[in-house]
Amino acid sequence: MIAMLLAGGQGSRLGVLTSKVAKPAVAFGGKYRIIDFPLSNCINSGIDTVGVLTQYQPLRLNTHIGIGIPWDLDRNVGGVTVLPPYEKVGKTEWYTGTANAIYQNLAYMESYNPDYVLILSGDHIYKMDYEVMLDFHKAHNADVSIAVMPVPQEEASRFGIVVADEDGKITEFQEKPKEPKSNLASMGIYIFSWPALKEALISLSEQSNCDFGKHVIPYCHEKGETLVAYEYNGYWKDVGTLGSYWEANMELIDIIPEFNLYEEFWKIYTTNDILPPQFVSADSVIERSLIGDGSEIYGEVYNSIIGCGVVVEKGAVVRDSIIMQNAVIGEGAVVEKGIIAENAVIGKGAQIGIGEELPNKVKPSVYAFGLAVIGEKAVIPENVRIGKNTAVTGVTVPEDYPNGVLESGETLDKAGDVQ
Amino acid sequence: MRAVGMILAGGNSFRMRELSNKRAIAAMPIAGSFRSIDFALSSMSNSNIQKVAVLTQYNSRSLNQHLSSSKWWDFGRKQGGLFVFPPMVTSDNDFWYRGTADAIHQNLDFLKECHEPYVVIASGDGIYKLDYAKVLEYHIEKKADITVVCKDVPASEDVTRFGILQMNEESRIVQFDEKPMAASSHTVSCGIYVIRRRQLIELIEKSVEEGRHDFVKDVLIRYKDVKRIFGYKMKEYWSNIASVESYYQTNMDFLKKEVRDYFFREYPDVHSKVDDNPPAKYNPGSMVKNSLVANGSIINGYVENSVIFKKVFVGEGCVIKNSIVLNDVYLGDNVYLENCIVESRDTIRANSRYTGEDGIKIVVESNERYVL
Repeated sequence: MIAMLLAGGQGSRLGVLTSKVAKPAVAFGGKYRIIDFPLSNCINSGIDTVGVLTQYQPLRLNTHIGIGIPWDLDRNVGGVTVLPPYEKVGKTEWYTGTANAIYQNLAYMESYNPDYVLILSGDHIYKMDYEVMLDFHKAHNADVSIAVMPVPQEEASRFGIVVADEDGKITEFQEKPKEPKSNLASMGIYIFSWPALKEALISLSEQSNCDFGKHVIPYCHEKGETLVAYEYNGYWKDVGTLGSYWEANMELIDIIPEFNLYEEFWKIYTTNDILPPQFVSADSVIERSLIGDGSEIYGEVYNSIIGCGVVVEKGAVVRDSIIMQNAVIGEGAVVEKGIIAENAVIGKGAQIGIGEELPNKVKPSVYAFGLAVIGEKAVIPENVRIGKNTAVTGVTVPEDYPNGVLESGETLDKAGDVQ
Repeated sequence: MRAVGMILAGGNSFRMRELSNKRAIAAMPIAGSFRSIDFALSSMSNSNIQKVAVLTQYNSRSLNQHLSSSKWWDFGRKQGGLFVFPPMVTSDNDFWYRGTADAIHQNLDFLKECHEPYVVIASGDGIYKLDYAKVLEYHIEKKADITVVCKDVPASEDVTRFGILQMNEESRIVQFDEKPMAASSHTVSCGIYVIRRRQLIELIEKSVEEGRHDFVKDVLIRYKDVKRIFGYKMKEYWSNIASVESYYQTNMDFLKKEVRDYFFREYPDVHSKVDDNPPAKYNPGSMVKNSLVANGSIINGYVENSVIFKKVFVGEGCVIKNSIVLNDVYLGDNVYLENCIVESRDTIRANSRYTGEDGIKIVVESNERYVL
């Protein structure tokens, strides 16, 4: 079985976090990036041939994946291959949909002559043994297996719902139904028998924005192929919004988290650019936090996820926040419920995440949850105050802050990252 | 680079006490995330030395595990590579390495097949960053036969476990005593030498023929007045860890900002084998003061002025002061440690108390750990 990992999406609901990087390359849990989870699942499941389909802002993703060394995917045969869209004789197009992207890489898959193809997306946090799912697929003589997980009935109308009989055979699909007939939500993980996939992709090649959930799966269903639902009951988290992204990070801090990174079995691998241990100074306080390698903590950190190489200077207080790689929190600065992206610099005495909660004026659905989001390489001047549901990008100067304040709900976009 | 590297990592020292029971000195864990030999290997890699041989003997398995892949230090190229040479029995040799010169002699074929004109010899127990290319430039400029890297240490330090040397005004070594009873100067040899490859082969062949097996005594000291042997003074941080006290002190040095900045934040980087551990975790009740904590650790107790290596679990109510806890140690609840070094992979029973009264106590409980 080979895997095709869809990693080309923007993830626009992560706001400025994905303005320069594709969503799968966004940092997670102190030292990881989101794509580490499906990639580690692959190698842990014994899948050593993985095609990663990239499109949106692929630089960080490409450098991260490299030749796949961290995941042992540097192989003589197979291994990891990055598959961007490419120019062709005749019709050249971007990847217009999930299935279209796979279709454009038929030649890649064909070169391995696989029996089965696993379709994954690069934006979920979970540990899953795809080999068990493949056994299920084989046992049911299926053409297509869809991984599903039970969700609370009242939330079922937000998902693509799968209705299956007691053998797991799928009888019906409902896309975000008003009255869901079951509570099994599709996780966007599919195993196809290669002939079924190839046939469907070729038949649907003229379909615009060809998508697995909308087109390929219904096509296979109508054609009378055997579709089965593989029920998964472990931890699985979609980190598509800033709120769920923040929450999933915070869940790692629990004493025995539901999603445990400290188990020897099923390790999660990532690139390790920074090796030295972290230093915790004599006047610092750290409580309930994860802290990455090479960080230096001189201030106070509570309930937070701190990435690698971060400096929290003296007197600074970080609470309920996510601080990514190489960011600097200046002396006496306060960060509450903030997401500070990579290489951002917070000036001395700045206060982030203060005041009352007001909806964001530009993108109220994105910058919500009471979070203050600071984009990568942003610079926050000394002693300014920034409210909740805010976004700041680029190098900002004191003049950008009327009376030294960015009120809750405001957006300060010096890097041109917010459309 | 015009040199090959040789790292002499086969030695043992009674000064390491129980710490050398299960590993070579070159494999001693340092500064939370590294091992001693990483510093010599990284310096070689960073000086663009592409071909490095590591000569191992005592407890070589520990070192071999660390050297499992050459990719960590960016060796493993088509030109060059990392070679590990333990002693081997052949048709004309059935000895262990009888000394440093003999170790090189037993691998003379490797040196003869190289095309690089120079050899950099280093030991595996030095903690430093050094651009060997600069030493080589100096070596050529001085028209030296052998260049010995040396370092002035404070007069307060006991230097009788080192090679002690004196130089004249043009930096030529005039006096060299190996581990003297009383030191005549405070310039110590760092165990790093640059020498022309042909010259080395000739000197080693001659010495071993005469039944002399030690590089320092039988080559450096013996040829001191015949060959042009120069000293290259190193100004930056250098420390040798081959005694429990200096090992402890070297680790504690990394609690100083200037030492950390020098090794970790200034170019070039020190590389090591990657372990794929999650970030360190601080649970409620943890309190850490002036300490280094490596990845994969989980802290529930109080830690002060200490170095916590990778994957250490510190139980609730623990108090750890001025101590070093090596890799993968599980400390049960309410353990009290002061001035201790806890040997790696150990499980310390709850409520244990260890205090180093006069000097450093090495804690070895060797308990079985039951993993659920």
